Amino acid sequence: MLTRKSLARYSGYLFVLPYLALFTVFLLIPLLYGLGLSLYRRELLTSIPARFIGIGNYVEALHDAYFWKALLATFRFVLVATPLTVCAALAIAVVLSRTSGKLQTFLRAAYFAPTILTVSVAGILWRWFYNSEFGLFNAYLGHLGIKAPWLTNNSWALISIALMTLWWTVGGPMVVLLAGIHHIPPQYHEAASLDGADGYRQFLHITLPLLRPVLLFVVVLNIIGSFQVFGQTFMITRGGPEMSTRSLVQYIYETAFNNYRMGYASSLSWLLFLVIAAFSAVQFRLMREQ
Amino acid sequence: MAQQELIPSSGKTGIAAAVVRIVAIIGALVFAAPILLIFITAFKPDSEIVDFRGILPQSPTLQNFHEILGSPEEIPIARWFGNSLLISTLTTALVLTVDSLAAYGLARLNLPGKRWVLGVIVATLMVPGQILLVPVYLILNRLGWLDSPLALIVPAGAGAFGVFLLHQFFLNIPKDLEEAAALDGCSRFGIFLHVALPLSMPALATLGIFTFIGSWNDFLGPLVFLDSVDKYTLPVGIALFQTSYYAEYGLTLAASVLCTLPVMIVFLRFQRHIIQGIALTGLKD
Amino acid sequence: MLRLVKRFNEANPDVNVLMQRMDWSTYYNKLFVAGMGGRAPELFVLQTLAIPRFARAKFVRPVDDLLKQPHAVDVRDLDANVWNAVSYAENHYGLPLDIWPMGMYYNRRLFREAGIVDAQGEAKPPSTRDEFLDAARRISSTTSGKPGDRWGFTFTYFESNLYSVMQQFGGEFFTPNLDRCIINGPNNVAALQFCVDLIRKEKCAPPPENFDSWIGFRQGKVGMVFEGIYMLADLQKQKDLDYAGAPAPVLGDHRAVWAGSHNLCLRANLNAKELEAAWRFMSFLSNNSLDWADGGQVPARRSLRDSDRFRHMTVQSEFAKQIPYVKYLPRIPFIFEFQTEFNAAIEKALRGSESPKSALDTAAANLNRIIQREREAGPS
Repeated sequence: MLTRKSLARYSGYLFVLPYLALFTVFLLIPLLYGLGLSLYRRELLTSIPARFIGIGNYVEALHDAYFWKALLATFRFVLVATPLTVCAALAIAVVLSRTSGKLQTFLRAAYFAPTILTVSVAGILWRWFYNSEFGLFNAYLGHLGIKAPWLTNNSWALISIALMTLWWTVGGPMVVLLAGIHHIPPQYHEAASLDGADGYRQFLHITLPLLRPVLLFVVVLNIIGSFQVFGQTFMITRGGPEMSTRSLVQYIYETAFNNYRMGYASSLSWLLFLVIAAFSAVQFRLMREQ
Repeated sequence: MAQQELIPSSGKTGIAAAVVRIVAIIGALVFAAPILLIFITAFKPDSEIVDFRGILPQSPTLQNFHEILGSPEEIPIARWFGNSLLISTLTTALVLTVDSLAAYGLARLNLPGKRWVLGVIVATLMVPGQILLVPVYLILNRLGWLDSPLALIVPAGAGAFGVFLLHQFFLNIPKDLEEAAALDGCSRFGIFLHVALPLSMPALATLGIFTFIGSWNDFLGPLVFLDSVDKYTLPVGIALFQTSYYAEYGLTLAASVLCTLPVMIVFLRFQRHIIQGIALTGLKD
Repeated sequence: MLRLVKRFNEANPDVNVLMQRMDWSTYYNKLFVAGMGGRAPELFVLQTLAIPRFARAKFVRPVDDLLKQPHAVDVRDLDANVWNAVSYAENHYGLPLDIWPMGMYYNRRLFREAGIVDAQGEAKPPSTRDEFLDAARRISSTTSGKPGDRWGFTFTYFESNLYSVMQQFGGEFFTPNLDRCIINGPNNVAALQFCVDLIRKEKCAPPPENFDSWIGFRQGKVGMVFEGIYMLADLQKQKDLDYAGAPAPVLGDHRAVWAGSHNLCLRANLNAKELEAAWRFMSFLSNNSLDWADGGQVPARRSLRDSDRFRHMTVQSEFAKQIPYVKYLPRIPFIFEFQTEFNAAIEKALRGSESPKSALDTAAANLNRIIQREREAGPS
C-alpha cells in the first residue's frame, strides 16, 4: 500500500523527466566537468598531457595580477551600472505609471525596444557613437568645442560602457517595476491624497516601501547580469584602453579560447561563480529580513 | 491604469502631469532614436559615415545592401535566414513543451524532494554561459550533432529560465479549478493540458517570444558549433563576414538592418505579451 | 579570392572547395575547436606567427616531402627569410602565399602644403630618421585653422609600428635559444622612448588617448602612417584622399619592417586521397596568387612580383621593395601571450601611464613567467 502510494508520488516525475534529462546532459554534467577540469593543468594546442594539480589553478589565480585587474574592473562595472540602470528604470516606471492607454503602450515599447537588439548590433552602433573622430556624440559636441574621450580615457571608458548598458538593458527592470507599481492597491494613494500628500511624498512614503520586494528582486537580477558583463565590452572596447574594461568573463574567454588554457579558465569561471553566488546569498538574506 | 483617476486634475498638478508626460515622450524618442539611426545610416556611403556631417545621408545609396545581397555564393543570406528561422522555431517549440511539463510538475504535484530539484535548477541561473561552451562542445561531438541544427536546438532545452518563469506562474493557479477537474475524472496530464496550460497562455506566449528572440540573436553557440557556411545562422554569418582590419561601418550597419528587421517585427507585433510576461517574472518570488 | 575558388572548382570537378571569411581571433578559435573535435579542414591558412603553436601541437603536417615531388612549387622562388619563417624545429609547415609588410602611407596634399617636395614639386616621402622628423614637424606646424587638426604622424597598429622601430634600433626580444625574454633591453627601451617622444616632446603625433588614428589618416588630418599593405583596400574607398605608398623610413641604424604572411597549411593525418586533392589546390593557389594581390597582398612568389601586372600595382610594388629585410614576429609557441604582453607594454608607454623602461620590464617579467610555466609543463 505504502509503496504503491509513493510510487504514484514519484510517477509525477514523468512530467519533469524530459527537462531533467536535457538539464543533466547539457547543464549539470558540463558544469561538473568544468569543476573537474579546474583541478587539472590542461592546455590545448600543445603536446602536453593533462595533469592533476589539485587547487594549483586557484592558487595561481590569487597571484595573477590580470585576474585581480579583471575582477576589479568587473566590480567597478557592477557598482556603476547597477545603480544607474535600476534608478533609471524606477524613474521611467514611475513616470509611465502616470500615463495610460495608447500613450503608455507606445512609451513602454520605445523604452523597451533597445533590449531586443543583439549584442553585436548594439555594440557596433555605440562604437560608432563614441568614436572620437567621427562619432555621433563628438560630432555634435564639436560644435561646442568639446571633444570627449568616451572610450579612450581609462576612467571614461567604463562609464561609457555603463551608459550604453543603461540604454540597452533598462527595458526589462522598467517593465517589472511598472507592473509592481500597478499592483499597489489604489486605496493607499487615495488615502494619501485625502491627507494632502503630493506626488513626491506619495512616491517616498507609499510607492517606494510597497515596491521594495520587487525592487530587491530587480537589483539582484541586475547584479548577476552585471557580473557576467562581456558582450558589450568585447564589442566596443575589446577590454581596452589598458585593459581597464576587460571584465572577468572576457579574461576567462581569452584564457580559454586565445591561450587554450582550459584548466585555468575553468578555475577562473568557478571563482566568478562563487563571487556571484556569495553576492546573491547576501541579497536574498537581506530580502528575507525586510 | 487605475492610477489615472487618482491624480486630481486641479490646475497645478495638471500642469505637472503634462510636464511629466512631455519629458517621458522626449525620453522615449531618445531611447528609440539609435535604432532608427541604424536604418538611416545603412543608406550612407562609407565615406560619409567616416566623416560625419549630419544625420541624413547626403547622397543616399543602396550600395551597402547591394554588396551584401549581391553575392549569394559568398554571402548566402537567404539560406542563413532560413536556418535562423528553422532553429529559432524548433528551439521555441522544444523549450515550451519541456519547460511547461517540468514547471507544472514542480509547482503543482506533490513530488518528493522537489524543493531540492528546483533549487538546483534555479541556482544555475547564476552560471555564466561561457563556462559550458567547451564541455557542451565535447558532448555534442560525441553525439555527432556538430554542424547540424540539433547542436543549437537541443541544448537550449536545458536552460533554467523557462522552468523558473512558468513555475512562478503555475503556483498562482487556484486549487479549486484543479480539484473540480479531478472530480470530473481528469487525469493529472489531462488537468495539465486542459486546465493549467490554457490558464497560462500569457506566460507561455512570453516564454515563447523570449526564446525565439534569444535563439535568433544567439551568437556564441552557432559560432562554435557550426562549421559550414551554408549552415550558419543570420547573425553569425553576417558578423563573420566583416573583417577585423577594416572599419566597414556601412556594410556592418546594412547587415545589422537585415539582422534586426525580423526581430523588430516580432517585437512590435507581440510587444504587449512580451512586456506583460516580463512583469510576471518579477512579481511572484 | 572567391573568383579563384570558382575557377578551381570548375577545373577540378572531383574536389569541392568552400571558402569562409572571418577575422583572425574568431578564425583561430574555430580552427582549434574544430581540431579538438577532429573536424579541422584538410587545408587551411595560418599566419606565420601561429605556425609554431600549431606545429608543436602536431596539428599541421610538414610540407617538405611534398615539395620534392615533380612539378611542385619551387621554393627557390620564395625569399629565404619568408620561407625560413614557416620552419619550426626541423621542418617547414606551410607554403607562404603572400607577404604583408608594413610600409608607409603618406598624404601627398599635406606634404605639398608643408613644402616637402622634390624638384618637380611632387610630395617627397622621407627615408631616414632626420627626413622623417623634419617632415613630421613641418606637417604638424602647418595648421588648417583649427589647432590639433593636423598631425605629421600617428601610431595606428601598435604591434607593427613598434616591432618595426625596435628592430630598426637593433632590439632583441628573446635569447637565441628562446629560454629568456629580453624585451626590456636598452635598444628596445630607446626605440620606445623615441616613439613616446614623438607624442610627448615633439608633439608631432597625437596622444593615443583621444584619437582614432587610422580614421584620422583617412580624413586627411595626418601626414604619415605606418600600416600593413592590407589597409590599401580601405584607402581605395576614400575617393578624395591624395595618398601614396613608400617603404617605411629607417628610424634607427638597421633596415627592418614588420611583416606577416598567409601560409597554406595541411592538416596532420590526411589520407592519401585528401592529401592529393589538398595539395593540388594549394599549388593552384600559389601559382595564381597574383590575382590575390588585387585585394592588397604582395605575392610570396618572386616570379609573380617580376611581372608587369604587379609592377603596375603602385603601392604594392613600393611596399614589396622592403621584402629582403622584413621581420616576422618571434618564432615562439606562446605567440598569443607575447602579443598581449607586447601590446600592453606599448600602450602603457605611449599613453604616458608608465615609462618605457618599466612597461617593458613588466612585459619581460610576465613573459619569463610564461616561459617558466611552459618548461615546467614538461617536454615540448
